[in-house]
Amino acid sequence: MIGIKSYGAYLPRYLLPRELIGKAWEFPIVPGTKAVAMADEDSLTMSVEAGLDCLVGIDPKTIDGLFFASTTQVYTEKDSASLIATVLDMREDIITADFTDSLKAGTTAVTRAVDTIKANKDIKRILVVAADTRAPEPSTMWEYGFADGAAALLIAEDDNLPLSIDDYYSVSANVTGPWKRADKDKFIRTFEVKMDAKFYLENIIKVMSEILKRNELKPEDIGAAAYYYNNPRMYGRVARMMKFAQGVAQNSVFFQLGDLGTPMAFVLLIGALRRPKPDAKILMAGFGDGADAILMQVRDRDALRNLGKTRMGFIGHQKSMKALKNYNKFLAFKEVLEKDRYTRKSSAVTIWRDTASVYKWYGVKCKSCGTIQYPDMLRSCYVCRADDQFERVKLALKGTIFTYTLDHLVGGAYLDIPVPRCVIDLDGGGRVLLNMTEIEKPEENVQIGMRVELTFRKEHEGAEFKNYYWKCRPERGRP
Amino acid sequence: MVRKGIKDKVAIIGCDMTKYGELWDKNQYDLLFEAFHSACKDTGINKDEIDASWIGIFYYFTGLSGAMVEDILRLDGKPSTRVENFCASGMDAFRNASFAVASGAYDVVLACGVEKLMDEGGSGLPGFKLFGHPLYPTPSAPAMFSMAATRCFHDYGWTKEDLARVAVKNHDNGSDHPKAHFRSKITIDQVMKAPMIADPLGRFDCCAMSDGAAALILTTPELAESYAHADDYILVKANAISCRTNFPWYIPSNGPGADFTSFPATVKAAEYAYKEAGITDPRKEIDCAEVHDCFTITELINCQDLKFCDRGQAAEELKNGTFNWDGEIAVNPSGGLKSFGHPIGSTGCRMLTEITKQLQGRAEGRQVPDAKIGLCHNLGGAFAVCSTTILSQRD
Repeated sequence: MIGIKSYGAYLPRYLLPRELIGKAWEFPIVPGTKAVAMADEDSLTMSVEAGLDCLVGIDPKTIDGLFFASTTQVYTEKDSASLIATVLDMREDIITADFTDSLKAGTTAVTRAVDTIKANKDIKRILVVAADTRAPEPSTMWEYGFADGAAALLIAEDDNLPLSIDDYYSVSANVTGPWKRADKDKFIRTFEVKMDAKFYLENIIKVMSEILKRNELKPEDIGAAAYYYNNPRMYGRVARMMKFAQGVAQNSVFFQLGDLGTPMAFVLLIGALRRPKPDAKILMAGFGDGADAILMQVRDRDALRNLGKTRMGFIGHQKSMKALKNYNKFLAFKEVLEKDRYTRKSSAVTIWRDTASVYKWYGVKCKSCGTIQYPDMLRSCYVCRADDQFERVKLALKGTIFTYTLDHLVGGAYLDIPVPRCVIDLDGGGRVLLNMTEIEKPEENVQIGMRVELTFRKEHEGAEFKNYYWKCRPERGRP
Repeated sequence: MVRKGIKDKVAIIGCDMTKYGELWDKNQYDLLFEAFHSACKDTGINKDEIDASWIGIFYYFTGLSGAMVEDILRLDGKPSTRVENFCASGMDAFRNASFAVASGAYDVVLACGVEKLMDEGGSGLPGFKLFGHPLYPTPSAPAMFSMAATRCFHDYGWTKEDLARVAVKNHDNGSDHPKAHFRSKITIDQVMKAPMIADPLGRFDCCAMSDGAAALILTTPELAESYAHADDYILVKANAISCRTNFPWYIPSNGPGADFTSFPATVKAAEYAYKEAGITDPRKEIDCAEVHDCFTITELINCQDLKFCDRGQAAEELKNGTFNWDGEIAVNPSGGLKSFGHPIGSTGCRMLTEITKQLQGRAEGRQVPDAKIGLCHNLGGAFAVCSTTILSQRD
């Protein structure tokens, strides 16, 4: 069967209370919060996080492809999938593709993954990652909704899977609903919100109704429905129109996290899989210039439960989120404020040559004295001085601070001053120097002996491209 | 290791330095010109007597190549080489010049250093955007050294106040030096309350950005007899450099038990220098020392690594007055980098000039009593390069 072997999610550390938006612009106050990525995060870095979560206990070398879905991809002529696959340490003989420009890109990527696995006997597992960091125009109502997050689904063919994918159905519809011109717009525009709502309802109802009909199912046969929506009223209307029973339509996201865009349906699905009912049929639907509905069924409840226990998923991230105290921080995160951003020189050549160490996080182990060291640019051991005795070893993404400082002098494009510069002894060996992100009050909170996790972040924009590297953060609980 | 060495083969026959500070109205050409001609005057020679030169410059924007010397001094095509070895650049220029004399290749040579930092603007050392790997973190210089402070606080129990005493002592000394950048005395309270630069190092824990130049003229002890300082030329007893890991500078194995609480380059360079000079008890034998104090923590750790006191004891020794101007070893009687700032390429030559004058009894207003043997020390990079020179009065 073809289905979902694993899932993972990433929700950024911070939440913006909607009240702060209302106060900032003297808008009517709207309840709830929304998830906000930091300035050093984008759809690519959040996809790495979701991918890491999804692949806990799964060898990345066994994955045959990676599809990336987003409306906020960081490059146009250069994909993100190949870089995400590299950082996740996947093989080179894999398929990669970006699915972009529509909020249904995530569900569409899942349908394409199913088809690819069906059509190609050598491709058994495709990791689909969806992420968005849509920036709302300040002082518009979009600010209440647009939020940031990522999720990953591992689509696989296997005799036994937690969840099977049994059918999908899609429609295409060209509507000038919300848009963003590739050449001109920084923010999303719309022509007529009420027309947008009409087309949303029509499309999402059509694909879900049709897939039920094709499979001779009634709304009461559905155990959970995870469909994209961008406001709570729309969510309720769809649930009523579809005649879903109480608790079937998933609404765990909007009030706390907001409209996550492309990964929203995935995150709703992951939320629904926490308490799986045996053999439950599950619907997932995405919307954007048309819609996709995907029909799934619980096949292995224990395996699903186990995924819930071993991944941060939805809950693990949710419980480690923290509310921002002021709206300006949000503007800073979204780079709306034109700060003089420190850049450094860069070299695409150096970074490519050092891919194994800077992206895949490999160090070297001296065969002569056993010391694990980083980076792997050197040829002679700094402990025993043996020449050319190194073998590559994968380094851990966790460690303990040996010493540190808070650097007030040299910040960075994506670092708040003071920058905690941390010398870290990695679990299992290797000492590294990393900047710390996601830290409040570093004067009080950074300490020798502190446990940290590594997170892949934007470092700077030297040479006019995106320079990514690992940073550390206080533990959030990644396994 | 040291085969024949340079002990007693090289004499300093004249030296001088410019005023150090924010010298907005001068460029690097003015500074080197002034330092050189004062040194010539001190030596009592004409510039045509210089056979070859070595110049310490760290930054490319101060100047590239030995041709800088020709541009500024017009030595008529004589050999000249630019030396760059981090903060030890100036003292390494002196080392190369010493070798030239000791080998017999030249009679009279110039060792000099200059740096013009203030033209670059901004705060902190310029150029960090341009060095190194595109992705690895680029902590500022104080950030690198402050990590040692964090660790010393943890391991030795030192406090911010212990560091503050270094700044207070050095500014106290510097207040008597007419060429120092800063000539005000400060209090522990001022140091403690200053804005943070890199925790736990505040503004007074860090040396300043300054401009300056210094120059020394060297020859053999035999030839020294025929110059102005025939009676009080200074002998080079040893000059040693040690280079340890510069990258990755934060590795655990950077010397045994030296995890951010010791500078292995200093330990090794001191070991080489003491051996060549025949010094067995540095604390007793050395009278005055210019010790690299780019940051307060640097001086404390270096005093231990130079064997002026036991490991972990430097803060206590400082508190007890051991390193005061009139203590057992006068550490930074000039006021150090704290009072002079750190125009990188010049600093080593500035220290050598200071110790020369101390040993000659010419350190007006700041003369260390009975100074016979002195030491100069630089530590550069991220604890990577150390240069240690030992000078003594002539026999």
